Amino acid sequence: MAAKWIEALTGSLEQKKQYKQSKARLDALPEPYRSTANGLHRYLMYYGGYIYGDTIVQMFGDLADLWERAALDSTPVSDLVGEDPVEFAETFARAYTGTQWLDKERTRLLRTFDAATGNPR
Amino acid sequence: MGSQMTEMLKGTLQGVVLAALAARPAYGYEITAQLRAQGFTDLVEGTVYALLVRVEQRGLVDVEKVPSEKGPPRKVYSLNDAGRTQLEEFWTSWTFLSERIDTLRDIDTSREGDG
Repeated sequence: MAAKWIEALTGSLEQKKQYKQSKARLDALPEPYRSTANGLHRYLMYYGGYIYGDTIVQMFGDLADLWERAALDSTPVSDLVGEDPVEFAETFARAYTGTQWLDKERTRLLRTFDAATGNPR
Repeated sequence: MGSQMTEMLKGTLQGVVLAALAARPAYGYEITAQLRAQGFTDLVEGTVYALLVRVEQRGLVDVEKVPSEKGPPRKVYSLNDAGRTQLEEFWTSWTFLSERIDTLRDIDTSREGDG
């Protein structure tokens, strides 16, 4: 009961735990995997814009899976990401179907057009 | 791969990966290696991985975690019914697109021949 209302205020504690676990997995990687994974982690937090924790948790879990595997196989970071890390990060983030904060504005834009043109879709 | 090739491949890569999985289930690195061997030489593992995340999110593949000799288990992807339907749609779109573009090329090359 208490846990339920605390989580209503703070978000899911289980998700926070999972998030911290994936972050710890990134921090435990050898270089250059640690720096590159953490660089992506930071960018994805800004770019992803996902509202719900489950998408974020899954995204960072997948990132940790990929980087751990690459570190074990000694795959060069360039073979992992290609020439453009920004392009890679954005493609990666767009793979997820979670709700983004921008969705509210997309809905608003559609409503504005529908109202102005009288063409409900 | 030049940037034009990269841009064109973006729109078709999902179909390419689904087609690779239609042949047999595979994990990310296998698909990357296979496609690179088939001439997609500049394709990188992360791009294929992001694509696999995408098709998994959209329910086009089934995923099985298979223990590996070292490190975390490997995720093996196999095409499911929704994926097969998606792949058929991809081939239909691809046939349409390639026919239209070939027609444009024929017009273009015959015009050059006249000149």
